[in-house]
Amino acid sequence: MVDFARVQKELQECNRDVELSGIRVSPKSDNLAHLIGAIPGPHGTPYEGGTFNIDITLPDGYPFEPPKMKFTTKVWHPNISSQSGAICLDILKDQWSPALTLKTALLSIQALLSTPEPDDPQDAVVAKQYLRDYQTFVGTARYWTETFAKASALGIEEKVQKLVEMGFPEALVRSTLEVVGGDENMALEKLCSG
Amino acid sequence: MEDWVSSEEDYGSSDRESLDGLDNEEPDSPWVPPKVSNTKVITKESLLAAQRDDLGRVTDLLSLREHHARSLLIHYRWDVEKLLAVLVEKGKPYLFTEAGVPVAEHQDLDLSVSASTLMCYICIDDVPSSEVTRMDCGHCFCNNCWTEHFIVKINEGQSKRIRCMAHKCFAICDEAVVRNLVSRRHPDLAEKFDRFLLESYIEDNKMVKWCPSIPHCGNAIRVEDDEVIEVECSCGLQFCFSCLSETHSPCSCLMWELWTKKCRDESETVNWITVHTKPCPKCHKPVEKNGGCNLVSCICGQAFCWLCGGATGRDHTWSSISGHSCGRYEEDGEKKAERAKRDLYRYMHYHNRYKAHIDSFKQESRLRETVREKVSNLEEKELQFRDFSWVTNGLYRLFRSRRALSYSYPFAYYMFGEDLFKDEMTEVERSIKQHLFEDQQQQLESNVEKLSKFLEEPFDQYAEEKVMGIRMQVINLSVIIDKLCKKMYECIENDLLGSLQYGTHNIAPYQSKGIEKATELSVCWSAKACTTDKRHKLNKQTKGSTTQSDQPSGSGSSDDIGCPLPKRARTGGFGAGLFDLNLPAEVSDRN
Repeated sequence: MVDFARVQKELQECNRDVELSGIRVSPKSDNLAHLIGAIPGPHGTPYEGGTFNIDITLPDGYPFEPPKMKFTTKVWHPNISSQSGAICLDILKDQWSPALTLKTALLSIQALLSTPEPDDPQDAVVAKQYLRDYQTFVGTARYWTETFAKASALGIEEKVQKLVEMGFPEALVRSTLEVVGGDENMALEKLCSG
Repeated sequence: MEDWVSSEEDYGSSDRESLDGLDNEEPDSPWVPPKVSNTKVITKESLLAAQRDDLGRVTDLLSLREHHARSLLIHYRWDVEKLLAVLVEKGKPYLFTEAGVPVAEHQDLDLSVSASTLMCYICIDDVPSSEVTRMDCGHCFCNNCWTEHFIVKINEGQSKRIRCMAHKCFAICDEAVVRNLVSRRHPDLAEKFDRFLLESYIEDNKMVKWCPSIPHCGNAIRVEDDEVIEVECSCGLQFCFSCLSETHSPCSCLMWELWTKKCRDESETVNWITVHTKPCPKCHKPVEKNGGCNLVSCICGQAFCWLCGGATGRDHTWSSISGHSCGRYEEDGEKKAERAKRDLYRYMHYHNRYKAHIDSFKQESRLRETVREKVSNLEEKELQFRDFSWVTNGLYRLFRSRRALSYSYPFAYYMFGEDLFKDEMTEVERSIKQHLFEDQQQQLESNVEKLSKFLEEPFDQYAEEKVMGIRMQVINLSVIIDKLCKKMYECIENDLLGSLQYGTHNIAPYQSKGIEKATELSVCWSAKACTTDKRHKLNKQTKGSTTQSDQPSGSGSSDDIGCPLPKRARTGGFGAGLFDLNLPAEVSDRN
C-alpha cells in the first residue's frame, strides 16, 4: 500500500512554500495515489512563462518505488517525449531513493528543463534538432510553450466554445482538455474515440 | 537430415557411458589423471566453503568485516587479482567507494546521546530510538522503512546490491541487518536473500559456472587459470567450460556454434533447392530443370517458363515460347547456382567425414563389451603375459582420438572456408595451410583406423604368439596416435591460427589423459569458521538487535559445513530449512 500518511505530509510541506518554489502538487481526485503536479518553466529557457502540468501516479510501493510521472502539457525537449510526455530522468528510474519526495522529483524535472541531455534522449527527433540546429530547437520549444503551456490558461474558453459547438457536452470538453493539456486537436481526437 | 541432429545427442551420452564404464572397471588405469585436478565441483554443501578462500584473502588483506569483503568481491566479480590491482593503482578510497563500501565507519555517537525519539526522513514520523537502525554509511532510518526498502529491492532481484535509502548514498547495506530485519516479517524472503548472496559466487564469477546438465545436478564447476577447457562434472556430464555446450575441441566455440546451427537448419539443402528448383505455378512442387530449353513441364502437366517461373502454353521453339516473353537474367542465375552447388559439395564433404567418425565412435563404443569379453577369455588361458591393460588403454586411445578426429572436420570446414577467415588469408596461404593440416589429419586418420582394426580382431582366439604381435601393434599405435593428436593441435595453434586473430578462436587444449574431471572441493579446513558461525548465530538470536551485528554471512548453510564431507548424495533433504541448491535461484523461485 502507498504510505498515504507520508503523501499527506508531503503535500502540506510542498504547499507551504509554493510562493517560493512555484511547485504545486494537488490530488487529482479524492484518491491520493493519483496527483497532478505543476512546475513553472525556468527563467532564461524557451520554457519561461509556461506552466507545465505533470501527471503523477504513485505505485503501491511508494515511497520505496519511484512515482510514475509524465507531462500532460506538450513540451519540446530532448528528454521528454513530444508524443506521450514520458520523461527520461534517472531519479524516476533506478536512481530513485525513498529519501526523495514528490517535490524534489518535480524540482529535478524543472532542472531537466534548464539542462537538457541530448546524448541520452527520450525523443530522438528533438535531440537531433537540438544538436544540429540549436536555433530552430529554441524556436520550436518556445512556440510549443506559447501554444500549449500558456494557451491552456488564456485561450481555453475559446477552445471549449469551439468543441461545444461541435456537439460535445461542456463538462466533458473541459475535463478532456485538461487531460490532454489544452491541446485542441488531441482533445477532439479523444472525444471522438469516446 | 533429421538423424544428424539426433545422432549428435546420442553421441554425448554413449561417450560418457563408455568411458565411465572403463573407469569403473579399472580405477587405476593410466588415463585417470593422477595429479590433483585444479577443476573443482562446487555442490550446495561446499558453496560457502568455496568462497571462504576469496573472502578470507580480502578480509585479511584489508582488515574488513566479511560483509564488506563480500560487497567488494561481488562488485569486482570475485576476481581477487583485479581487486588488488585496483587497490594498488587507485587506492583504498576509490576501491571502496566504487563498490559501495564505506571508507570510514561512522560511530553511533549521536544515537547514544540523542533523545528517546528520532525523526525518520522516509515516513516523516517520530520513532523511538530503539526502532531505528544506522547503517555503516551513517544514515539512520526507522526499522519499518528499512524493511520495506529491503523487501522491494529483494523482489526486484537486487539482493546483491541493496543500497542505502539516502539520496546519492551508494553504500551497500549490511547483509546481517537486511537478513535480520527481513526475516522478522518474511522468513522465506530472507532465505532467498541469503541464497542470492551465496550464489553470487557462481553467477558473477567468470571462473565458476553451473553445470549445464538437464535435469540440473545442482553442481557448479570452478576452473583455475584457464576458462578454455573441457571438463567433466561429478554428475558425469562432459562439457566445454567456455560455451557450456558439448565438448568440441579442436573446434573453437564459435566454429562449433556455427556448425551445429548449420547441421540443424539444413541450410545447404534449402539453399540447393532454392537455387536449383522453381515451384510449379500450378501444384507448387519444386521442379528441377534437367536439360533442354527453358520450357519446363512439371509432372502435374503444367508447362512453365524456367526463366520467369510463369505458366505458359506448350508451343515453343528452341529460342522462344510462343506467346511468352520475359527478361533474361540467365547469366547471373547460373553464377549463383554454381556457387551454391560448390558450397553445398564442400559442406557435404566435411559433414560426411564428420558424421562417419561420429558413427564409428558409436560403433566402437559397443566394442567395450566385446573387448571385456575378449580380455576375460584371454585371462582364462595360461599365457606368459598376464597384463592386458594394453587392450583397455588402446581402446581408450581410440575413443580419445576419434573425438578429436571427428571435430577436426568442422574445424577444417571453417578454417579453410570463407565464413570466418576470408579476409585474413590469401588464396595461396590458405592452400598451403590446408595441405599442412590435411597431411596431419590423414596421418592421424589412417593410424586410428589401423588401431580400430586391431582391436576388432578376435585376438582372444589367437595363439599366444599372434596375440603378442597384436599387443605390440596396439601399444605402438596408441603411442603414435597420441603424438599425432598432439601434433595436430600444435599445427592448429601455431601454424593455422597463430598468425590470425587467435584471440577470438580459443581452442580447448588436447589432453592426452582425457577430459579433466572436476574433483570435490575439500572443505575440512573451514571447520573452525563453521563453529564461530554457529556461535554468532546464537548470539544473534538471543540479542535480537539489528545494530552492528558481527554475524558472518551465509549462515543459511553453515550448518552443513562438516568435516569431512560425506560422499556426495544429491538427493534427499539436507539440514531443515535449507534452501534447495539443486536448482539455480531463478528456477526454484519460479516453482
